[in-house]
Amino acid sequence: MEEQLALLATQIAELEAMKGVTNTMFAETFYYLTIPLMIIIHAGFLAYEMGASRVKNVLSSGVKNILAFAFMVPTFYFFGWWVYWGFPTGLPGAPGPAGISGVEYANAIAWGWGEAAQYMGPNIADQASGVFFGAFALFAATTASIMSGAVIERIQTVGFVILAIVLGSFAWVVAAAWGWHADGWLVTKFGVHDFGAAGLVHAVAGFFALGVLINLGPRIGKFNADGSANVIAGHNMPLTVTGLMLIIVGFWGFLMACVIVPGESWSWFADKPATIYGTPITLSALSFNILMAVAGGIIGSWILTKDPFWMMSGALAGIISTASGLDIYFPGLTFIIAFVAGLILKPIADWIERRGIDDAVGAVSVHGVIGLFGVVMLGVFGSGFPALQGAAGEAPTINLTGQIIGAVVFFLLGFVPGYVVSYILNMFGMLRVPRGAELAGMDTVKVPLQGYPEGIPRSPAAASH
Amino acid sequence: MFPYQEASWSVVDGAMFIGWGTSLPGWATAISAIICAVVLVIGHMSEAEKAKKFD
Repeated sequence: MEEQLALLATQIAELEAMKGVTNTMFAETFYYLTIPLMIIIHAGFLAYEMGASRVKNVLSSGVKNILAFAFMVPTFYFFGWWVYWGFPTGLPGAPGPAGISGVEYANAIAWGWGEAAQYMGPNIADQASGVFFGAFALFAATTASIMSGAVIERIQTVGFVILAIVLGSFAWVVAAAWGWHADGWLVTKFGVHDFGAAGLVHAVAGFFALGVLINLGPRIGKFNADGSANVIAGHNMPLTVTGLMLIIVGFWGFLMACVIVPGESWSWFADKPATIYGTPITLSALSFNILMAVAGGIIGSWILTKDPFWMMSGALAGIISTASGLDIYFPGLTFIIAFVAGLILKPIADWIERRGIDDAVGAVSVHGVIGLFGVVMLGVFGSGFPALQGAAGEAPTINLTGQIIGAVVFFLLGFVPGYVVSYILNMFGMLRVPRGAELAGMDTVKVPLQGYPEGIPRSPAAASH
Repeated sequence: MFPYQEASWSVVDGAMFIGWGTSLPGWATAISAIICAVVLVIGHMSEAEKAKKFD
């Protein structure tokens, strides 16, 4: 009998060990898969921007977008990851109550040298750091791509890359540290809740783009002497719309990466997934709400525009407007908020254009304004829900004032660095290409290839009809 | 130090990359950062020179 019990105990221990291995492999695979899904966002932005460019600028828009991705990854490795872990409590980087923040903590895990390097490279005992880093690096690259579309057809390549680095490896990272971390002061002091990063990714990137656009100025020919605007059509609307659909595909990975899976030493819970704040979330919640948000945004924008570009932008706006509360919204409410976002999207873009801002793809409207709209909407509908995991009465709760404070902070974290850095680049002649180069076309100046060396001819069969 | 003293993975329970425990990671990171900065400088000079022809 004793021998059988001992055997049983051994078998249970083996089973538990195997369960642990399975869980760890699942957790690692979960985040690993978010990375290629988020790279689809970049395939989408690439197609979107190239389609929105005129033929004379199509390849240079592609070069700019690809370079943003390429520089974002190493710079996020060099210092972006360190900023995220170092400053959730603000300056000077004191440790927070959860014990996973502060400069000392960041120094121990997020530098590519010294003892910290063990967590910034292959490690037989660490199956989390690399995939977390990868997912965050892709968030960083997404912010840069958001700004990238707004400034096409007249920005200098290196000036743009510098701006992308400031945005993707610093500005949004500060916003994430403050509002998307269990120790973030916006969360612990004001109850800010932004599950899917409507404010800290989209609004920061959108208003960063606005700051840059003010100093960059409009494309030649965009505005008439009386201030009225001309439409500068891109050369390939089908490519642009397909790109927007790819961004929607990638969003499933983006939002999936916002979930903390259970059962690991770094997980919030042993038995259920959580948001980054430790509050409950399920992938089913995401499925319900993302789909309804996409639908609501498309339908809302169709009413006023009948335009596939704005309809797909409406799909993005639908997700962004509900991203803060995708964990707790009811699908019907998600649809309504997304519908309103789709409805107001184009009028907002028109209003911005009437102020003399040439935002080639509507990024300020789609990501900036709708991002803040989404943060505030959660304050309207979600007040009283816990913003952070904690004992009853101790956890900060979502509230309208806190969400508005969060929205203001996210606006400033985007707009101020975007304006200041682009102003400095402009002073040094590193922001805008010369007038002659812009008129000749950026591909002629920057790229040793043509996008369409044979033009875009009709097929012989079509020509005979 | 792995792998020179004992060439077996059985002794490894942490970092498993080339150069762990030496200054190589730091140098490699620093050189990578310098490459990025130098490429930006050269890229800007080259683009500015080409753009001048159209000004």
